[in-house]
Amino acid sequence: MLSRVGYIFRETWASLRRNITLTVAAVLTSAVSLFLVGGTLLVQRGFDNLLSKWAGGVQMIVYVNPTATPEQVAKIRSDIESVAVVDVDRLQYLDYEQSLAEAKRLLAADPGTFERLNQENLPTAFKIAPQSGKTDALVEFETAFKGLTGVQKVVLARDQVEQISKLRDFVQTVTVGLSVLLLIGALILIWTTIRTAMYARRREIEVMKLVGATNWFIRIPFMLEGLIQGLVGALMSCGFLVFFNRLWTNGVVQLEGDNGFVALVVSNSFLNFVMVILVLFGMVAGAIASGVAASRFLDV
Amino acid sequence: MIRLENVTKIYNSEVTALRDATFDVAKGEFVFLVGPSGSGKSTLLRMMNRQERPEKGAVWVAGRNINEMPDSKVPHLRRNIGNIFQDYKLLLNKTVHENVAFALEVIGRPKHVVRQQVPAVMDLVGLAGKQDRFPHQLSGGEQQRVSIARAFVNRPLILLADEPTGNLDPGTGEGIMRLLDRINKTGTTVVMATHDQRIVNMMRKRVIQMDRGIIVRDQARGVYE
Repeated sequence: MLSRVGYIFRETWASLRRNITLTVAAVLTSAVSLFLVGGTLLVQRGFDNLLSKWAGGVQMIVYVNPTATPEQVAKIRSDIESVAVVDVDRLQYLDYEQSLAEAKRLLAADPGTFERLNQENLPTAFKIAPQSGKTDALVEFETAFKGLTGVQKVVLARDQVEQISKLRDFVQTVTVGLSVLLLIGALILIWTTIRTAMYARRREIEVMKLVGATNWFIRIPFMLEGLIQGLVGALMSCGFLVFFNRLWTNGVVQLEGDNGFVALVVSNSFLNFVMVILVLFGMVAGAIASGVAASRFLDV
Repeated sequence: MIRLENVTKIYNSEVTALRDATFDVAKGEFVFLVGPSGSGKSTLLRMMNRQERPEKGAVWVAGRNINEMPDSKVPHLRRNIGNIFQDYKLLLNKTVHENVAFALEVIGRPKHVVRQQVPAVMDLVGLAGKQDRFPHQLSGGEQQRVSIARAFVNRPLILLADEPTGNLDPGTGEGIMRLLDRINKTGTTVVMATHDQRIVNMMRKRVIQMDRGIIVRDQARGVYE
């Protein structure tokens, strides 16, 4: 009798200790995988920001001096429209207000620069999309447009978009792949933690079932355990995200010149949104994984 | 109260643990299931609270065919059936009081019911004053009394006992039997599996004898043989 008591105590203790390391492992894996999920969302958002001014097949942007007269703007428009390969239906002109709105989005990370924008220094812009398959023909007009009175500069999508798109696809593949793998790992670890916890408490569970406790009553404490693991992991991942986002934002803002990278930074409201998603997802996934694990082992 | 109709149980599609078992247990009856190890006594008990389901036949408890009961109703069935085991199945990290209260708490009984019922049942089983001990501080007989208290605290209609005296010396075993007899006299139906000849012969209750999964004798006021 005594040896059996001792045996059960030792086993319970061993199972608990095993559970502590498993819990730590499950929490850390959840934290890293959720951090990668969050990072993927932020990077995607940054790239989308960066590419958003090229949305809708825009291949060329003609920036107009803020000081250009309405007559000069009208002349530039008619010159652009007279080019045969320009898709006139898709030609957009961003006036001061619209340009300011776009700048606000692109300069989310750099409010200082945005504050200094005004009617005297913010160029307006024509966004030009070619008729389908006529991109090369459109590009030949770059020099001609540059020479028009009132034009500040001409920017081609080809120079920015293609490189950025390739980079985005690469980053996306890597981060999505890694985060899916790590998420699976985190769920398996939570599952194993719950199984071990149930093993440690198998006698208690047996008694509960025999006296007529419902399966939900037995399951809920374990689901709570999984939920807490997911929650702690998610909170840690939020900490990582805030830290790395701040590092990145500070780094980008300090870069010299108009390199466009500043658009790769997301707004704080989007960061908060991502963190809320991560916390909810961590809690729900942890609880469900534990609930499924508990149900699986309740039949024994 | 309990009715088995042609119940057959086969394990792993080859070992026949029970063959064509049929009998009735009336409300308030006390029944011994006797027979050597492996004769099917425990399987019979496990049929009665749906820990096992038969391959053939039907098990009726309190007027319901429990094999056709949905899983969600099984906990409610078990609240009417107390269980006692040879190894007590007490929770070693809980005190005596906590062990007994546990049975009420996990089925959601309110605190005032627990406060009222647990001391009452502790008196009944003769453990008043020991509610703060841990199981390892009690003798085997006392541990079995705790397990009886836990099984009975919810006032079940039926008490299923699997070798409750198997780990106890004869004198202690007799004490346990007197307690079960007293519980039986309150109207609780008791079905007890045992191979303790002395106790069966002493009690002179109904005896159902099993041999290799078959009921070979069903005798009122019987002895072990």
